[in-house]
Amino acid sequence: MSLYQWLLFFHVTGAFFLIGGIVIAGILNIAAIAKDRRPSEIAALYGLIRFAVPLIGAGLLLTLAIGLWLVNEVGYGYGETWIVTAIALWVLASALGNIDGKYQRQTGELARRLAAEGDAPSSELRARLRNPSALAISYGSGLMAFAVLGIMIWKPGV
Amino acid sequence: MLALVRPESWNLPLFFHVLGATLTFGATATVALLGFAGLRGDPDRAGWLRGLAFWVGFTVLVPAFIMMRGAALWIVDKEYPGGHHEPGWVGVGFIVTEPGALLVIVMVVLSLLAARRPHFRGAVAVPWLASILLVALGIAWFAMSAKPGS
Repeated sequence: MSLYQWLLFFHVTGAFFLIGGIVIAGILNIAAIAKDRRPSEIAALYGLIRFAVPLIGAGLLLTLAIGLWLVNEVGYGYGETWIVTAIALWVLASALGNIDGKYQRQTGELARRLAAEGDAPSSELRARLRNPSALAISYGSGLMAFAVLGIMIWKPGV
Repeated sequence: MLALVRPESWNLPLFFHVLGATLTFGATATVALLGFAGLRGDPDRAGWLRGLAFWVGFTVLVPAFIMMRGAALWIVDKEYPGGHHEPGWVGVGFIVTEPGALLVIVMVVLSLLAARRPHFRGAVAVPWLASILLVALGIAWFAMSAKPGS
């Protein structure tokens, strides 16, 4: 196999890790907010979301690093519109994902604390889970990753 | 180097194929996580987690798998009309997804039974079947992306 084939495999692997991790976190987040659940149930779901974090991190790293290497290997220009747009979306999605990650970590900690203190339903926890700004940041960052996938396939401007 | 010379009309099926494949990967991993978590703890908690595994399997994994497989047939029909001169890496996709479809059906049925019957022994198979499917998907994405032998 050529270097190009190996690079493409690792680049696609990064995309699978990134989008797969986003899907895991998204499904478990929807499961947490879809019903009024006890804090212990929220804590259990957020405990599982932790497994998605290393996948998303590895995916971000592989897609960018191998993607830039591929640009050089194939002979595309780093200033081409589709590459600049994809990198800009990658940076924005990463920044929003980082903000969301901190917020979700605090929500998980609150759920664990409330579960240990009697597991009574909490309006504070409910409000954090359904905070419209936090949801917009969370789902916005995920949608940007899907948009990058579309850009990689259509390569607008090529 | 196919990606460099791909005709415009192949992009939509390819997008749906890759989107379906990544959603299948994420949904399968979620079923595995919920399935393993549902094997421990008190019976109420385990039943709830197994029920979630069923719903993720039924509402996300099955449609994602159909999208992946349907779009695969769509693009193969465009790229190799009539099935002529299909390279080996295309065959790997079919070798993985045909038993994979059976695996998904068995997994969803077992997770439904596991959610309804607290002492259902087949519950233990659900996360392991999901793990096997994850490995198979990994083999398929290696074949589809690296296209060894081409």
